[in-house]
Amino acid sequence: MARLSPVILIVEDEFLLRMDSAEVIENAGFEVVQAANADEAIAILTARPNIHVVFTDIQMPGSMDGLKLAQFVRDRWPPIKIVATSGLVRVDDDDLPAGSVFLPKPYRGGELVAALRELTSTT
Amino acid sequence: LDFETAAGERLPVIANAVERRDADGELLFTALVVIKAADRRRYERQLVDSRSELQRGLASEREAGELREQFIAVLGHDLRNPLAAISAGARILQRSGALQQHKELRILDMINSTVTRMSDLIDNILDFARGRLGGGITLNRDANQPLKPVLDQVVDELRTASPQRLIETSFEITGSVNCDRTRIGQLASNLIGNALTHGARDRPVHVGAKTDDHEFTLWVANAGEPIPETAMQRLFEPFFRGDVRDSRQGLGLGLHIASQIAQAHGGRIEVTSTPDETRFVFRMPLTQTALN
Repeated sequence: MARLSPVILIVEDEFLLRMDSAEVIENAGFEVVQAANADEAIAILTARPNIHVVFTDIQMPGSMDGLKLAQFVRDRWPPIKIVATSGLVRVDDDDLPAGSVFLPKPYRGGELVAALRELTSTT
Repeated sequence: LDFETAAGERLPVIANAVERRDADGELLFTALVVIKAADRRRYERQLVDSRSELQRGLASEREAGELREQFIAVLGHDLRNPLAAISAGARILQRSGALQQHKELRILDMINSTVTRMSDLIDNILDFARGRLGGGITLNRDANQPLKPVLDQVVDELRTASPQRLIETSFEITGSVNCDRTRIGQLASNLIGNALTHGARDRPVHVGAKTDDHEFTLWVANAGEPIPETAMQRLFEPFFRGDVRDSRQGLGLGLHIASQIAQAHGGRIEVTSTPDETRFVFRMPLTQTALN
């Protein structure tokens, strides 16, 4: 099918990091939605059905961290792909829902874009 | 065995006898030791007490060590996050093209270079703390990914950090290198950073890497004053700092961590220093094991 730009939801509590990633992803041709924590992310996911990928930080304040958010998204919206990132923990495959991508911080813009392209081209 | 004292009280004692004989079996002497039983019990009690005190001390020392390790890990992360935010902010400004003045662009470069320096410092401190607290340097080896992009990135970052310096590279990595790429990047960064700090400012720093049938080699060379003989012995010790002219001086952990990373890969770093050139060479054996 002819496609619109895939929509990426960025969940990151650090404002400047979120803004930087958003620009990198937008410049690569994706549409971007931003959330500062898991609660905002869930509100957005509930409101708009066209999100393709959730790109989330793992360490986040609030009711859910990135791992819990990833699990929640997989249970509630199974088709949505997940990319998780962290500078503190290295994540094992079983910590994230199957098919998710883990990107250790610090990552380069190119790596993020490559991971998003790979996830969105197979849908 | 009980003695009776002059006062007529009972005195419990413990007696121990040893005899010594000559070669023919003739008795030379018999040594008889009599210890007041109460005293012996007290000695034993004291021994037991001091041993459990030591064990308690050791346990609390270990606990404190673990806490310290956790503290440092959390601190490291907490320092990295705001640093990443500063760096992201600088990237956003750079990308926006809003800053055009020479001075503004120069400030952006300086922000980037300072971020790189601080982030290297944090990495080294965390590694040193982990090493000292028993964790050692752990490797995530991966032979399937290319090493060259990591080295290119390290050099790019250092070029950005020191725009007035020239770093020349020649990378000929033909075979796959079963290594922790992040760690080898850190090793390269520490060696090149060291060359930039101590080398002649008006001469290039040369960086090379190659593989042959059995070895991966990475070298970093700079011109300038040779390393004094006395300093040579102690280069890789933690907190060793040479004489430096500017504020670029770090904690003296860079070379130490680099040598630890080399060792963790089963390799080593060698130094030669003459008036012509100072050269650090890292060599590690190429193994095809542990491809996970």
